[in-house]
Amino acid sequence: MFDTLASAVAFGVVLASVIAIAAMGFTIQFGLTNVLNLSYGGIMTIGGFAAYLVTSHGLSAWYGLAVGAVAGAIVTLVVGRGIFAVYARRGARVFEMMMVTLGLGLVIDYGLQALSRNNIYEFTVLQSTPISLGPIILTPTQVIIIGIGLALFVGLEALLRLTKIGKALRAMAADPALARACGIRTRQIVVLTWLLSGALCGLAGVVYIINSQSVGYTTGELFLPLVIAAAILGGAGSPAGAVLASLLMGIVTQVVAAYGGSLYSTAAGFGVLVIVLLSRPSAVLTKQANEELTLA
Amino acid sequence: MSAWSYYISTLAVYFGIDVLSGISLNLQYGYAGVVNLAFIIFQSVGAYVAAATALGPDTGAGAFQHYIFAASLPFPIPLVLATLAGGALAGVVGLFSLRRMRRDYQGAIMLIVSLIALQVVTADVSLFNGSNGLTGVPKPLSFLPVGPLSYQWAYAGWVFVFCVAVYLLVRWLSRSPWGRALKAMRDQEEAASAIGLNITVLRLQVFVVGGLIAGLSGGLLVEYIGAWSPGAWGYAETFVIFTAIFVGGLGNYRGVVLGVLLVPVVFLQVTQFLPQIGYPGLMDSLEWVVIGLLFMLCLLVRPRGILPERKPVATEANAFPFATPGLLPYLRRRLGRPVA
Repeated sequence: MFDTLASAVAFGVVLASVIAIAAMGFTIQFGLTNVLNLSYGGIMTIGGFAAYLVTSHGLSAWYGLAVGAVAGAIVTLVVGRGIFAVYARRGARVFEMMMVTLGLGLVIDYGLQALSRNNIYEFTVLQSTPISLGPIILTPTQVIIIGIGLALFVGLEALLRLTKIGKALRAMAADPALARACGIRTRQIVVLTWLLSGALCGLAGVVYIINSQSVGYTTGELFLPLVIAAAILGGAGSPAGAVLASLLMGIVTQVVAAYGGSLYSTAAGFGVLVIVLLSRPSAVLTKQANEELTLA
Repeated sequence: MSAWSYYISTLAVYFGIDVLSGISLNLQYGYAGVVNLAFIIFQSVGAYVAAATALGPDTGAGAFQHYIFAASLPFPIPLVLATLAGGALAGVVGLFSLRRMRRDYQGAIMLIVSLIALQVVTADVSLFNGSNGLTGVPKPLSFLPVGPLSYQWAYAGWVFVFCVAVYLLVRWLSRSPWGRALKAMRDQEEAASAIGLNITVLRLQVFVVGGLIAGLSGGLLVEYIGAWSPGAWGYAETFVIFTAIFVGGLGNYRGVVLGVLLVPVVFLQVTQFLPQIGYPGLMDSLEWVVIGLLFMLCLLVRPRGILPERKPVATEANAFPFATPGLLPYLRRRLGRPVA
């Protein structure tokens, strides 16, 4: 009984690490630019496929992580500057922008379906002996995933709290006009945001496929609900909130899977979303003043 | 010749069903500003309910699929139940997701609801037979003494009857005080609230009305094609109808008809006649890519659609009851003759 719970919680922490990496990127991007980017899942999948291509040529999964991060960063910067900014200049508001990102998500998802020939590819990393810690048995890969999540969280918090760039990022998320008036180079900060959130997005894609051991064109799309729910629950623009929310959702999902059958573990994610809506209405309430996009 | 007739009657049925979907979404988004990116689950619940209540019991010899609501009800009842199911699901979803929030949040939450519903129905075989879906739904108009080809046209006519009825109903609704309240809510939510409109109730009402139409369209669709499975209701299907009403023009019904004619019918059917390139299935993927690009292009070059909504203009001739001297010009205008 207790053993089942303990190992379910451990698996929950592994899943939470994957959600958290994606949700941290999402929450920075959303908090700063105000673009609710529904193509985020598609860009995760791009990162995953990039890593798959690298490792299938014989390089190790570490290179896959690096390549996935770079791919995510570049694609995000290109769509941010090349597509989203164009719509923002034409006067798109938050809702139109969300529909644009949904259209872009469709283009990315089905473009990847076309390129991947609608197949699911196996993605395996070298497995070694599992580590047992009392009732909890984790593979070294899972431990590494938790480590990556933790390292990224600490690094991101350090960047935001201790450096001048982080201060500028936080200032822009709080009030873009005031930040600009204070002499912050807002254009460069937006570019940095696209790169940073895109890198986290690509990394999350790679970590996700390392965990699930396969990659297909729907990988990111199926994962996106959990990421968005975590970002909203944690509060837009707050990596710490996103990590806590990810832990909650990861553990809930895995505990439900352990006891109630895997069928309903996704429904549990749905339950968390309902709780978000009912318990934190302030997170999603209308703020008229906050409907402006910050893209330049 | 008869192959063409068969093909065109099939297109006519799809056109009618897509017009119903477009009317539903246009009422919700075009008139009321409620973003329903979960549209397809309301159509889908209608389809499943219509199928399950017509298929008969799922136990006994020869039973190869499992579903809830098993019954074998006579002809029009499954369709009625499908309509009600769409409305009921819309009511339930609307109750917890239609809070006052930013429209992009609203859209994202609806999209998530749609994705999760798809995962649950796919995974849980006991609901509606999981990923295999339901097949063998009986043809509803089989009592007609006609051949297969005439049946096609009879069904198309049957769908068009609903199209016209729903169109007239929704046009009446949107010109009523309730319809003007919806537009007020869409354009100036706070002002609408300030003059005493209950925004939450209005949103829920328009959501349920749209859900009823969606359920009806799903029932009509499944009784035509005879099968329904999770492959038929990805989020992309909702996006096609959204693209149609954005391309055609939001907030008016000519725009809906034009958009549905252009996007799901002409656009998606023309590709059937292009030579197949690459491996099988490549064209299907590229079709979705192009739909996504079409939407993005539409929003860039013609954000209000091909036939934009006419803004109401308060002229003397329009304000009939309050400007009696304008009665004659008003009537002439209504009758379409030039005002002297």
